[in-house]
Amino acid sequence: MQKMPHLKSIFFSSVFMLFASSIGPLDFAQAASFERPADPLKSVMWNQMYDEFLDGGARKVVFDKNVVVNTSQNVEDQFHVPVTVDARGITDVKEIVVFSDLNPIWHVLTYKPQEAEPYISFRFKVQQSTPIRAAVLTADNVWHVGGVNLEAAGGGCTAPAVAHGLPDWTLRLAEVRAKIWRSIDNREARLRVRIQHPMDTGLADGIPAFFIEKLNIKSADGRSFGQLQIQEPISENPAFTLMPKLKSADSSVIVDGRDIEGNNFRAVVPAPARSSQLGSSALTGAR
Amino acid sequence: MDRRNFIKGTAALGGTLGSVFGSGSGAGLGARLVGGLAPGALWLEAVSEAAAGPLEYNLKADLIAPGTYVVIGPTEYFSHENGGNIVNTAFVDTDDGVVVIDTGPSLRYGNELRRLIKKTINKDIVRVYITHHHPDHFLGNQAFDQDHIASLPKVISNIKAEGEAFVENMYRLEGDWMRGTQVVLPKVALKSSEIIGGHAFEVLPLGGHTSADMAILDAKTGVLFAGDLAFLDRAPTTPHADLARWHKSLGALEKIKHDVLVPGHGPAEGGGRAIAQTRDYLKWLETMMRSSIDQGLNMTDIMATPIPERFSSISVLPGEMQRSVAHLYRAMEEDLLPLVSKGGG
Repeated sequence: MQKMPHLKSIFFSSVFMLFASSIGPLDFAQAASFERPADPLKSVMWNQMYDEFLDGGARKVVFDKNVVVNTSQNVEDQFHVPVTVDARGITDVKEIVVFSDLNPIWHVLTYKPQEAEPYISFRFKVQQSTPIRAAVLTADNVWHVGGVNLEAAGGGCTAPAVAHGLPDWTLRLAEVRAKIWRSIDNREARLRVRIQHPMDTGLADGIPAFFIEKLNIKSADGRSFGQLQIQEPISENPAFTLMPKLKSADSSVIVDGRDIEGNNFRAVVPAPARSSQLGSSALTGAR
Repeated sequence: MDRRNFIKGTAALGGTLGSVFGSGSGAGLGARLVGGLAPGALWLEAVSEAAAGPLEYNLKADLIAPGTYVVIGPTEYFSHENGGNIVNTAFVDTDDGVVVIDTGPSLRYGNELRRLIKKTINKDIVRVYITHHHPDHFLGNQAFDQDHIASLPKVISNIKAEGEAFVENMYRLEGDWMRGTQVVLPKVALKSSEIIGGHAFEVLPLGGHTSADMAILDAKTGVLFAGDLAFLDRAPTTPHADLARWHKSLGALEKIKHDVLVPGHGPAEGGGRAIAQTRDYLKWLETMMRSSIDQGLNMTDIMATPIPERFSSISVLPGEMQRSVAHLYRAMEEDLLPLVSKGGG
């Protein structure tokens, strides 16, 4: 169990580096001039996380309480740990990278909000007690990091998906359920989207990796609300809450994506202006 | 347990069953160290507990009806402090011997319960009923004669399927209290009610708290042993719950004439408070969750929902509510979110 992660993480870190490099040129004159801050979560893996996800000194890293990672710290269900990352207290967010230090696969997701608030809610699998962190990259090339330690029993990543115990699970593969809520003044909206998919990590005996890797959220006229890169630790039948900045003329949102076997899916989520009103507690919730 | 069995066991948990009564914040330093990275932690813990003297539950029997005793556990979470004693067990004095209802969370508890029974009623034990397959109700079985232990066939198969994984988790949550504890299956699969020493024990095959919950009415004394279908002043737990079926079972229990009800957790009393409170809380939980999902709230939002004032007498809230969100949210969400694109590979 301790051997496997390395191969995985090397592979995904290279994927990540491609992703990160598309954001903008780093000022390499400054490279390695930044010091690694001490980890408030005191993780033994912090130095490695710093090199792997936070550019190992080439960008400034700060721990920032405005990156709120909201979860239930005592994990009740290691297959479905609910997490909300809320970085609405930070301006000019370019991307949000979520990773967990002690999972066999560290990288959970990378979210690039475009016309959307820096806010994402999701569920993921944990293999043991571990930190869960969100790193938020701002336009001034600074990583703002928040996170908490999770207390968990073992086994979330190496057990088979429930789908494999069900007959004909492929009939519902990539089924999309979704809904949009808008506040009355149209200043805030939430999209909840759930996709039927086993999200196999490749770590369960005899079951190869099979997971959704990309999710794009767009308007009907082609504006991008945000792009999501998803990794193996995301739970079976992934579900996300995002906060797209809808214009009053937007009457729908398009969700499309694909898994690593090339299955594409696309769904049109209606966004009627006056129905499905966002609950008042949702506006203040999760802060 | 090797890795393969461990993984198998965890898979059998289906995820949600990791901790039937959770690992509250009181789970303590021991759990954190054992789960973490200090190899000396187990040893240190054992030493410190040995230095504090042998672990004892100090069980106490309360007489609630003629010849009928209950052993009331504190309404807490499993912890290194309480050793899993958060549960009610009971025993009844009959002409033919003693009838026991549930055996507690560990071998150590089972042994203490047997000694308490001997001290209170100096007769042989002739029957041990197990109400359902949650670990705090049957892991004391080892202390009793397996030939006497009886439950519904479905309870027995549930123990067979999930018992080992429960034991693993109980060691994690309670440490040394669990020493030597192993799963012992009930040997007698009950098909009908029984008359023992002049008492008619009516076996009520119900469910909803788990897939099989057995309540027992002692028709002679009018004591209804409800198992975990009824809780009182302790939040009901939902890792295996089917809420609709649970409500049906509460309705069935209400129709059965009884003088005293012994809930699985919380004080025994007459007057229907346990049934009413369990029903009220479960209804609130379901309505609150469904309407929250309908308003666009996600799991972490709902976990922050304030608890209504009328539940202020109920212990382990909001922790237990947050666990229930983890257990129940996904099925409700699938039910409430509109289908926007059909799947199919």
